Amino acid sequence: MKPRALLAVALGLSSLLGGCLGGNLRPLQGLNLQLARGGTSHSPALSGNWLALITGHQGRDQVQLVNLSSSAPVPLLGLNRPDAQPLSITVDQRGERLALVRQREGRTELVLYRRSLQSLQAIPIEPAGVPRLVQLSADGRVLAVEVSRGGQWQVDLLTLP
Amino acid sequence: MSVQPHSSCRCRWAGIATLLSASLLLWGCTTPWGLRRQPAAPLGIGQESRQDPALSGDGRLLASVVERGGRSTVMLQERSSGKVLPLRHLRRQQPHSSPSLSWNGRYLALVVQQGPRRQAVIEDRANGQLHPLLLPAGREPQRLSLAPDARRVALEVLDNGQARVEVFDLSGLLEPDQAPGQPVSGGGLSR
Repeated sequence: MKPRALLAVALGLSSLLGGCLGGNLRPLQGLNLQLARGGTSHSPALSGNWLALITGHQGRDQVQLVNLSSSAPVPLLGLNRPDAQPLSITVDQRGERLALVRQREGRTELVLYRRSLQSLQAIPIEPAGVPRLVQLSADGRVLAVEVSRGGQWQVDLLTLP
Repeated sequence: MSVQPHSSCRCRWAGIATLLSASLLLWGCTTPWGLRRQPAAPLGIGQESRQDPALSGDGRLLASVVERGGRSTVMLQERSSGKVLPLRHLRRQQPHSSPSLSWNGRYLALVVQQGPRRQAVIEDRANGQLHPLLLPAGREPQRLSLAPDARRVALEVLDNGQARVEVFDLSGLLEPDQAPGQPVSGGGLSR
């Protein structure tokens, strides 16, 4: 049996056991099996009907946005680049705005992606600092960014138009 | 039929366009793309490190992790005033990490330390209950995200050294915390 098939079987069994042992958590089995088959995954962000996460396959990380109604990923044209390493991802409840911290060309940057427009905007960190983690309010209006600045971790809040 | 603008009209439009361009330029200088920056609400103890920010769905509340007595501790605040809101169960079990809030901030989910293990929990601020999210042995939560309506939670778990995201239904555990005006299904309580 292939390792991924083994992992899927183990995940199914542990999900069943988890449901019995935990009592309060009911796994979304179809979605979890699909995520397990896709390789490693981290940094989940749930909002509305959407799950944004970073998946790793064959040594390359990329952002994925999954529609929870269909358990299917949707295209994110222009967001994932072979020369960029995503570090943190967040999505609003409409699945329209995604904010992302990524490393590219030796720099760490914060970008805002609008899915309907397939547009990507870099958001400057002022005063200068290095972003690490980002979270968007579900209404898509406020961004909270964890920034390393002057040897200290700080939180910047940005209101979006 | 096409209508040609009158010359005085043309002048007025040109004036308006100039004014608009100038105001757009000025606006763009101060706030690129209309972004408005706001420092996180002060904690009242001077400059200190703050990490892991999480906003309620409506953006009214901010949870973040600060150092308290050398221990990473979650703090919940109103974003506009900086007022610190009480958390009944979260004075211990540090280090705290990965806070996540529901739409109105009724629920705060996070990862805490329980003995030798990391444990995901949800505090219900409406009734003071603490809900541990029990995972099968061998799976440790690293990060989490609570859906704004509190119907689901996504956990990043470490299983045999490999990170993996798993999503769980919470509808049997929590009442939904909906945005105002959202229909409530399943007889839950709308807040």
